[in-house]
Amino acid sequence: MIKKKICMLGAFAVGKTSLVKRFVKGIFSDKYLSSVGVKIDKKKVIIEQQEVDLLLWDIHGEDEFQKVQRSYLRGSSGYFLVVDGARRATLNTAFTLQKRTEETIGKVPFVLIFNKWDLKDEWEIDDKTMDDLSKDGLMVVKTSAKSGQGVEEAFLTLTREILEA
Amino acid sequence: MNTKGHKSIAFGELRRLLVGPEQTEIVQLKERLADPELLVKDVSEVLPEAIILRSSRDKKIAKALEPTIEEAIRASVKKDRRALADALFPVMAPAIRKVISSIILKMIQSLNQALEHSFSIQGLKWRLEALRTGKPFGEIVLLHTLIYQVEQVFLIHRNTGLVLQHVTARRVAAQDPDLVSSMLTAIQDFLQDSFGVERGEPLEALRIGDRSVLVEQGPQATLAGVIRGTPPADFQVILRETLDDIHLKQIGALESFDGDATPFEPIRSQLEDCLQSQHKQKKRKTSPLLFILLGAVVFLMGIWLFDFIRDYQRWAHYVERLRTEPGIVVTTIEKRSGKKYISGLRDPLASEPAKMLKEASLEPEKVIFNWEPYQSLYPKFQLTRIKGLLRTPETIRLKFQDGILHADGSASYQWIVEARRLVKSIPGITHFDEEKIIHIELRDMEIIRERIEKQFLLFRTNEAEIAPGQQNTIQDLVANTKRLCSLAQVLGKNARIEIVGHTDNTGSEETNMKLSRERAHNVLSILTSKGFKEENFTTVGVGPKEPLLEEATEINRESIRRVDFKVTLTDKPKEGVVRP
Ligand SMILES: Nc1nc2c(ncn2[C@@H]2O[C@H](COP(=O)(O)OP(=O)(O)OP(=O)(O)O)[C@@H](O)[C@H]2O)c(=O)[nH]1
Ligand SMILES: [Mg+2]
Repeated sequence: MIKKKICMLGAFAVGKTSLVKRFVKGIFSDKYLSSVGVKIDKKKVIIEQQEVDLLLWDIHGEDEFQKVQRSYLRGSSGYFLVVDGARRATLNTAFTLQKRTEETIGKVPFVLIFNKWDLKDEWEIDDKTMDDLSKDGLMVVKTSAKSGQGVEEAFLTLTREILEA
Repeated sequence: MNTKGHKSIAFGELRRLLVGPEQTEIVQLKERLADPELLVKDVSEVLPEAIILRSSRDKKIAKALEPTIEEAIRASVKKDRRALADALFPVMAPAIRKVISSIILKMIQSLNQALEHSFSIQGLKWRLEALRTGKPFGEIVLLHTLIYQVEQVFLIHRNTGLVLQHVTARRVAAQDPDLVSSMLTAIQDFLQDSFGVERGEPLEALRIGDRSVLVEQGPQATLAGVIRGTPPADFQVILRETLDDIHLKQIGALESFDGDATPFEPIRSQLEDCLQSQHKQKKRKTSPLLFILLGAVVFLMGIWLFDFIRDYQRWAHYVERLRTEPGIVVTTIEKRSGKKYISGLRDPLASEPAKMLKEASLEPEKVIFNWEPYQSLYPKFQLTRIKGLLRTPETIRLKFQDGILHADGSASYQWIVEARRLVKSIPGITHFDEEKIIHIELRDMEIIRERIEKQFLLFRTNEAEIAPGQQNTIQDLVANTKRLCSLAQVLGKNARIEIVGHTDNTGSEETNMKLSRERAHNVLSILTSKGFKEENFTTVGVGPKEPLLEEATEINRESIRRVDFKVTLTDKPKEGVVRP
C-alpha cells in the first residue's frame, strides 16, 4: 500500500473542489476550505495492480499565490494545475503557481487541467494553445466536473506519472 | 648510487639526531597500538568513565547496547532458563503480585461500578443515552467516568503529512487516519503560517471540545495523540520519548519514506503503549445496592441466628426435661451429620420422648432415640405397674406408701383373693391393706338376704296349704335363694334359711302351734321340690306369737297367716373356698 499526497492548484473558481468531489466522496465538509484554506480527501486508485491511496489536498484558490499555501505543498508527490477554459487569465495564474511550486518543493509531476469542457463554446482558450502546451511536454487533460468527462483520466494520468517518477 | 647511498645514511643520521628520542617513542606507540592485548588494557582503563560521561549527555550508549543486551538475554534464556528466572525472581514476583492484586481490585471496582450504574438514576440516564445513541452501555459509562483516555496515536510523516503508523484504543471509533493525519498537518501548517510561529517551534496542543490533540514534532515525523478528557502532565513527555526513540531506530526509513508505510509496522506496539487511560475513582463510593445486599445478608443472618439460638434453647430445655423426667435415664447425647442421637434407659411407663419433642417444638426427624427398657422404682410407676399387674378394677383406688399397698373401694371377692396372691410376687410391697375394700358379693348377699327376709307367703284361715295365686312370690323366692346360695359359696360361707310359720290368734294355742309348723313345712316342701337341699333350711312354727299384734283386725289377721324367712350366714372353714 502506497500513499501519495497530491495538491489541487489553480485560480479561484476554476473547479478544483468540483473535480475532487467528482472523483471522491470525502468526509470533511467544504467549510474547511474557507476556514483553514484546505480540504483533504482520499481516494484509492489501482494502477497496474498497484494500490495507491491518493490524499488530495484541495487548496483554496487565490489569484495571488500566498505564503499560507506554500506550506501546504510540502511533501506533495504531484499536483494538478486547474485552468478554467472560459477564463484565459486562469492559465497565467496556473503558470505562476507552477513556478512557485517548483521553487518550493522542486520538480514533481503535474497535470494541466482545462476544466469546464462542457462550456466549450464560451472558452477563451483555443485548441492550438493547448496542443502547443502538450507539445512542450506538458501533460494536458480536458475535463468537465459537471459531466465528469476526463476527470478519472486526469487523476489516473497524474498517479501513473508519479509512480514512474 | 654511492653518493645517493651516502646521502641517505647522512639523512638517517640527521633524522636520528633531530627526532631520535621522539622516534623511539613513536615506535613504542606504534607497537603499543598494534598490540591488541595492550590496547584492550588501555581501553579498559577508561571505559567505565567514558560510559558514565556519555550517559550523562544522552541515551546513545543505552540505545546502542540495547540490541546486544537483548541478544545476550535471549542467549541466556536459550542456554538456561532457570538462571535468568532466578535472577529476575526478586523483581518479578512483587511485580506479578501487584498486577494480580490490581486486576482483582479492578474486577471489584467494575462490579461495584456495574451495580452502581445499573441501578442509580444516573445509570438509568446513561442507559437511555446508550439507547438513544446506539452505543453500548459500557462505552457510555466509560465516557462519563473518564478522566482521560488516549484514543488515538498518529505517527505522521512530517513532510508529506501522510500517516506512518496509527493506533486506536478499544471501543473508539476512528476516522480514516490518513485523512485525519493530513488534515492535522494542514491545520498545523495553517496555524504556524497564520500566526508566524517559526517552523522549529512546535505546536504542542490543539483543543476541540473535550478532545485535545497533543503533538510532538521531530525532524522527520510528528507524533500526535488524540485525548479525550484532561491529559496527565507527563503525557507530553511520554510522546517526546517515544518520538525520540522512533527517530533513533527508524531514521533511515523516515528519511527514505516515499508513501510506503510498511517499515513502520513494528513500532505499532510502541504507539499502543501510549494509549493510556484513567477513570474516575468516584466509583469507590459503594453502591447503595451493595448496602441493600449487605443489609439483606445481615438480616438473613439475624434470622438464622435467632432461629439457631431459639432452637439451641429449646434443645437445652428439652434435654433438661428429659433428664428430670421420671422413668427416663439419659446416658449419651451425640451429634452426627446434623442429627442428634440420644441413648439411655426408659421405663415403658415413662412419657414418650418423641411426643415431648413435639411439645418442645423441635423437629422429630432430627432426633434419633435408642432406649433400653427398664423398670423405674419411681412410686408413680410402681403404682401404675401394680395397678396393671393386679388388673385393678375401676372401683378400686390404690395407694402405695412405705411398702404398703392400700386399697380402697369395692371389688369382687374373687379379685381380692387374686390380688392377695399376686401382691406377694411384686417386689417392694411388704403389706397389702385390703381392710377398706367392700366385697361386691358380700354387699350383694346382704341385699338378697334383705329381699328374702321381706318375702312371705299367705294362708287361708285354718289351712296349712299356701293360698292360691302366689306363684310369682314363689318364683322370686326361688331365684333369690339360688342367688344367695351361689354368693355364699363364692364367699365361703354357709347360708341357712329359717322358714317361720305363723297363725292368727283365733283358735286354740295348741292348734295354732301345730298349724304354724305345718305351714312352714309345706313351704319347705315347695322349696325342696324346686331343687334346694333340705339341709340349707330349718323350719319352725311360732303360732300367733310373732309378731305380737295387740288388736287383730280381719285385714291384718290375713297378713298374719303367713310364712316368712330368716337368713343366717356363718363362715365356712378357709380351705373350703370354692373357685367359680
Ligand atoms: N459548467 C461547469 N461549471 C463548473 C465546472 N467545474 C466547476 N464549475 C462551477 O464553477 C464554480 C466554481 O467551482 P469550484 O469547484 O468551487 O472552484 P474552485 O476552484 O474550487 O474555487 P475556489 O475554491 O474558490 O478556489 C462553481 O459554481 C461550479 O459549479 C465544470 O466543469 N463545468
Ligand atoms: Mg474550492
